[in-house]
Amino acid sequence: MKLPVVQFTKEQEQFRLEVRAFLQHHLKKGTFRKKCDSWLSGSDPAFSKLVAEQGWIGMTWPKHYGGAERSTIDRYILTEEFLAAGAPVAAHWFADRQTGPLLLRFGTEEQRQFFLPKIIQGDCFFAIGLSEPNSGSDLASVRTRAEKVDGGWLINGAKTWTSNGHDAHYMVTLVRTDSYDPQHKHQGLSQLIIDLHAPGVTITPIPYLTGERHFNDVFFDNVFVPDAMVVGTLGNGWAQGLAELAFERSGPERILSTFPLLNELIAELKKANDLVGLATASKLLAEMWSLRNLSIGVAQVLEEGGEVAIPAALVKSIGTKFEQKIPEIARLLVATYPSLQAQRAFDRYMAESILHAPGFTIRGGTSEVLYGIVAKGVVAQ
Amino acid sequence: MSEMLEIVTEVVEKICKDLVTKETVDLLEEGKWATPLWQQLEDNELLKVAVTEQHGGANGDIADLLALYQLIGYYAVPAPVLEHTLANFILEYVGLAPFSSITTILLSEQPTLTLTNGRLDGVVQHVPWARIAQQFVTFAKEGEVLKLITVDLAQAEIEHATNLATEPRDTVSFQQAKVAAQVEINEQQLEKLKKYTTAAKLSAISGALDKAFQLTIRYSKEREQFGRPIHRFQLVQQHLAILAGEAAIATTAIENMAGALVGEREQFEVAFTSIRLDEASKIVATSAHQVHAAIGVTYEHSLQHYTRRLWAWREEGFTAHYWQRELAGDLLQVEDVWAWMTTK
Ligand SMILES: Cc1cc2nc3c(=O)[nH]c(=O)nc-3n(C[C@H](O)[C@H](O)[C@H](O)COP(=O)(O)OP(=O)(O)OC[C@H]3O[C@@H](n4cnc5c(N)ncnc54)[C@H](O)[C@@H]3O)c2cc1C
Repeated sequence: MKLPVVQFTKEQEQFRLEVRAFLQHHLKKGTFRKKCDSWLSGSDPAFSKLVAEQGWIGMTWPKHYGGAERSTIDRYILTEEFLAAGAPVAAHWFADRQTGPLLLRFGTEEQRQFFLPKIIQGDCFFAIGLSEPNSGSDLASVRTRAEKVDGGWLINGAKTWTSNGHDAHYMVTLVRTDSYDPQHKHQGLSQLIIDLHAPGVTITPIPYLTGERHFNDVFFDNVFVPDAMVVGTLGNGWAQGLAELAFERSGPERILSTFPLLNELIAELKKANDLVGLATASKLLAEMWSLRNLSIGVAQVLEEGGEVAIPAALVKSIGTKFEQKIPEIARLLVATYPSLQAQRAFDRYMAESILHAPGFTIRGGTSEVLYGIVAKGVVAQ
Repeated sequence: MSEMLEIVTEVVEKICKDLVTKETVDLLEEGKWATPLWQQLEDNELLKVAVTEQHGGANGDIADLLALYQLIGYYAVPAPVLEHTLANFILEYVGLAPFSSITTILLSEQPTLTLTNGRLDGVVQHVPWARIAQQFVTFAKEGEVLKLITVDLAQAEIEHATNLATEPRDTVSFQQAKVAAQVEINEQQLEKLKKYTTAAKLSAISGALDKAFQLTIRYSKEREQFGRPIHRFQLVQQHLAILAGEAAIATTAIENMAGALVGEREQFEVAFTSIRLDEASKIVATSAHQVHAAIGVTYEHSLQHYTRRLWAWREEGFTAHYWQRELAGDLLQVEDVWAWMTTK
């Protein structure tokens, strides 16, 4: 497996500084409070609007939809700066990362013209409708049904674990547009854009273990979806979804969810002039660096339209383990009493990291399933 | 296991099964606690298991208490049973009388309270259940002298706070409060007190570990994906095997530690158990959550009651971190490690 080495241009280095300055400014101003796992559990539509005003949502998309036609690497830089600063980017996250690229690849012109400018302006958020109560890892077994009616489809069923479904306007939903055949379960699946405010849609929170609201149940009771909201080819939903997964699994958010804690750990160790602790922390930095090489390499291949399923699964499985490990190592180096209400940032990041860490190796495909993909892939090569 | 211990665990287990449901533990989130459970334990004299006969108790020993605490962890009991019974055990150990009103205890490495002419000043953080307890047992410094004191919490200012599992861990402030009793603590007593409080916490941790393991086995049989129960997948089997190993390690460590404590022949057992259970807590919480996947990180599922306790308890009192430092000091004096570990 060979991935390209990415050398940032002068303009890109400059852009990084620009993003950093923006974040520092808003951090100082108190626009947001730095936290761990901010890309999934930090939804703040007002902050998303500020990001949009900078032209930083959908920045790689074509100019005629309002995008800036910047490179994937520019977007990579932007994203990692946001994550490192623990900024609340969850509201626009899925639309920017996944839905836009999906529509550019498979969507109709009408869909692009309708959705992309709104996403870019920070006025339209998307949720991801894959999992169902009985279909987690075995995603191809989804049962949510779409029945053909005049002018569109009638949806019945339920999606679950829908992150930020309560803030989202639409959901790209994997549904069965053909009858379920257990022998050929990958067939007859389609991606539909469902308006989450349409009649028949009910969204109820599933409290996270901390009691906070992150994900939701989304129920469909005879929800009408016009034909124009089918994404790509009918029955091709599985293949289209797989293409999305490469974006979903290889980004810096699979490495940096607990970076604010790692950063604070080093600050604490420096304060204490703890060289042994800093030596251990340097090991974490080496891991981060090597994972980042992989992740940026994948971004570059994606830009060139290459195949990245295996390295993307590797970034996610190794990266999320790394994210999960940071609090476990940090607590051995600096005495802590973790609490979400703590005054000291270290204790607060610690609590956020510990309480959210279990999800890292589950969401977006469990590590076990990813190991299967990697193993099958390398054997087949 | 002594005969009394068998009866006690049986009765406590039955009461917990009847009275500690997911909903009872959830009460903590609303700032409430399991008062009917407390009443039952009190009525059945179970809070006095380790109180001496002289004070109306059953004369149990530290091993009896530790067995009780494993159940406290296993059921995530939302009441200060551990704190109350441990406080009384420690009071009697230093020659003071136990309390029947609700009592809590917090002993820490660096006491923050000062004692002058029988008056107490200072702030203590993370005091378990202070908001409902009447008596508080803790350390205070009188000049350079370390004292174990008891004080009526009616004289304290109490600010509510919680640990990662939403158990009450309040901030307690005293200003010229009158202590009810005080005893000077010598080096040898201090060592014992540290070991007793650590052992108590570790027993509760081992109970929570075991429960997380049991819940995971059960779930792996119930949950099906790809047309089969998930325990049929080898990577899930690997988690189950890891959990089984950690649970076995933890239980035998606790039993060996309890045996050493009750036989007054303890050396490094508490320290080793603390360090090993710190590791076990991490491994068990990780694997248990991984097998449960999304359902396990919800508030509705009871797994979080146990994993959040593991995450919270490992940072409380005398931690693995503390014991590692103690052992480092010991090792400096040890000439032959093998002999040290194997010869009394
Ligand atoms: C914080 C969070 C946010 C999420 N957000 C979203 C969202 O926005 N949209 C959405 O659609 N979904 C979302 N999900 C759901 C996520 O995609 C699923 O949880 C995941 O796919 C696993 O499914 P499951 O939870 O049903 O676990 P299961 O599939 O039931 O897995 C249980 C256990 O069995 C193992 N297992 C299953 N099959 C195999 C196998 N073949 N080989 C080996 N081991 C196996 C798993 O690895 C796991 O350990 C989210 C989940 C979390 C935790």
